[in-house]
Amino acid sequence: MKLYLDISESFKIALGAIVANKSRGALTALGIIIGIVAVITTMTAANGLKNTFRQTFASVGSDVIYVSKRPWVQMGPGFRFRNRKDISLAASDALQQKLLGRGVVNPSIGGNKNVKYQSKILENINISGTTEKQIIVSDMVPSIGRFLMPFDIEYKKSVAVIGSEIADGLYGNSDPIGKYIKIGRNKFLVIGVMEKQGTSFFGGPNFDRQIYIPISTFGKTLGHNGGRANVNIAIKAPSQESMADFEFEVIGEMRKIRGLKPSEDDDFSINKLDTLLDAYNNMMGAVVLVGLIITSISLFVGGVGVMNIMFVSVTERTKEIGIRKAIGAKKRSILLQFLFESSIICLFGGIVGLSIAALLTKVINDMLMPASLSPSIIISALVISIVVGVVSGFVPAYRGAKLDPIEALRYE
Amino acid sequence: MSVQEQPQMINDGEMPDVILKINDVTRTYFMGDQEVNALRGITLNINKGEYVAIMGPSGSGKSTLMNTIGCLDVPTSGSYHLEGVAVNDMSEDQLAEIRNEKIGFVFQTFNLVPRVSVFQNVELPLIYKGVAKRKRREIVEKAIASVGLADRAGHKSNELSGGQRQRVAIARALVCEPSIILADEPTGNLDSKTGEEIMVLLNRLHEKGHTIILVTHEDEIAEHAHRIVRLRDGLVESDIITTTVS
Ligand SMILES: Nc1ncnc2c1ncn2[C@@H]1O[C@H](COP(=O)(O)OP(=O)(O)OP(=O)(O)O)[C@@H](O)[C@H]1O
Ligand SMILES: [Mg+2]
Repeated sequence: MKLYLDISESFKIALGAIVANKSRGALTALGIIIGIVAVITTMTAANGLKNTFRQTFASVGSDVIYVSKRPWVQMGPGFRFRNRKDISLAASDALQQKLLGRGVVNPSIGGNKNVKYQSKILENINISGTTEKQIIVSDMVPSIGRFLMPFDIEYKKSVAVIGSEIADGLYGNSDPIGKYIKIGRNKFLVIGVMEKQGTSFFGGPNFDRQIYIPISTFGKTLGHNGGRANVNIAIKAPSQESMADFEFEVIGEMRKIRGLKPSEDDDFSINKLDTLLDAYNNMMGAVVLVGLIITSISLFVGGVGVMNIMFVSVTERTKEIGIRKAIGAKKRSILLQFLFESSIICLFGGIVGLSIAALLTKVINDMLMPASLSPSIIISALVISIVVGVVSGFVPAYRGAKLDPIEALRYE
Repeated sequence: MSVQEQPQMINDGEMPDVILKINDVTRTYFMGDQEVNALRGITLNINKGEYVAIMGPSGSGKSTLMNTIGCLDVPTSGSYHLEGVAVNDMSEDQLAEIRNEKIGFVFQTFNLVPRVSVFQNVELPLIYKGVAKRKRREIVEKAIASVGLADRAGHKSNELSGGQRQRVAIARALVCEPSIILADEPTGNLDSKTGEEIMVLLNRLHEKGHTIILVTHEDEIAEHAHRIVRLRDGLVESDIITTTVS
């Protein structure tokens, strides 16, 4: 018997059997539907989390290297990094000298303060002392007013560029430009409001709640003298391609500036977007894996349900199998017939489950985070359902296929 | 009625066209530690175009013999050649192929596939044979017409009377143009009038040259055949030519 005919006819027979018993097919598919909804929603939620993470750090340019005292993602005991000597503004200047003409070097210092306008207070706001080059190394720009300019730094102007959430929180609907903001005990003039970043990863930095002031005024504002401040140096590489070489060069220059002997370890850390992404993938990879394992169990249970029904289906049709064998059906034909039956049921369950998951994903997208159903998720859902169909249908189908024709014919 | 033993010899030396050759076939069922000897050494040759009735008391092994002839079952010992091909050592799928191409079954309980139409039932052997869809249509329609059910082709089998179902079964048995038609008590579930109608169909098939083997308890049915093989306790008790096949 020609294979394609075998396949197409077995398919038709299977379809006919399902149509003849629709409600059972639908009930069987229910288990698969639930499983697919669980697995697919987990996948889209994981993608949504990843998207949120990416968007949160979108302003951390992928071609920017950060030299800091501590690593962003800290492994092992913290004292190793605490005991390092601070990175000084002088080190940043020296690095700028060395890299002159290639790469943009921006020093910044961070700290937290309460900020106030009239009677309104926002607590624990991240204050960043920085320079005009901040907007080159990060991708954020002011939406109204202006950013810091070289003369603000040079003349230690008490000016501030505030994040959109701070503008909303302190000034409401009125225009903050030209108004003052009290940072700690010092008054600053608001000269600009940064454009809204929007998304923020749970527990990650919120750039909309940040204030930029000239690095030269930071010391007096935050209450320690400039010499002891620990500076973060952001360096934008001349091009994305040369990142690796450039990073190597930066490390070399920094070691010289810090006066390290060849035998000594780096006493500073190199941070970049990749470091964050790696850390994220490490952490979320495990979380998502656990989620997928748990949801796969529901899919597995659905598969067991299909297997169960297929055993019933084969037993019920023992006589029919006998008849088919008597008139010339080979094992393969019977096997295919039942494999198609379970696969069609599961594929149907997969499609329905996928549709429900698509709705759930839309809800997640509208209410929680930017989640979407990617083509690869759709394809894997369909492939998974067919695989579940084949796997759970195989044992019952094989049992049917190897029935003895006479025994089967005698079955009532 | 001429009664002769040893029917193989009737053709006056002219070699008959032997279609099946059964030599000392036994079939033993093992049920736990109990053995049931359904066939205990059957030797039987049947020629092309013969019309044979197998008779005998209940439990004498008629169905077992039919199943063996129809390649649904294999002998425990002895040899069986169908059209010169030894069936003993064949795989299950090879047997399925032989059943499909050389055997047409008609069962006492009709054994139609439920839920599907008359057309689809008759079509089934052709599907398993691998005949393309376009060719199947014509063959199936012809077979259904030949049993007088052309107007019922679209009906489901459970919408038909017993006699009609048996006609469908005959059409299905015919459709692959088998060497032998095996009918195990084809009229057993039918009233005598309907039974006669089925016999008329089988007679017509025989006239067209088909080889027919039929199991029956009823003498009136057996009368249609030209040869009667009687079984008792798994052995051939008598083998009688009732009418010489021309
Ligand atoms: N699958 C089986 N397992 C065990 N014993 C069997 C099996 N099939 C048949 N037998 C036994 O083999 C013997 C012959 O059975 P068979 O069905 O061939 O008889 P039969 O001549 O067709 O009888 P009937 O006229 O009642 O149909 C009986 O004793 C029966 O019990
Ligand atoms: Mg019987």
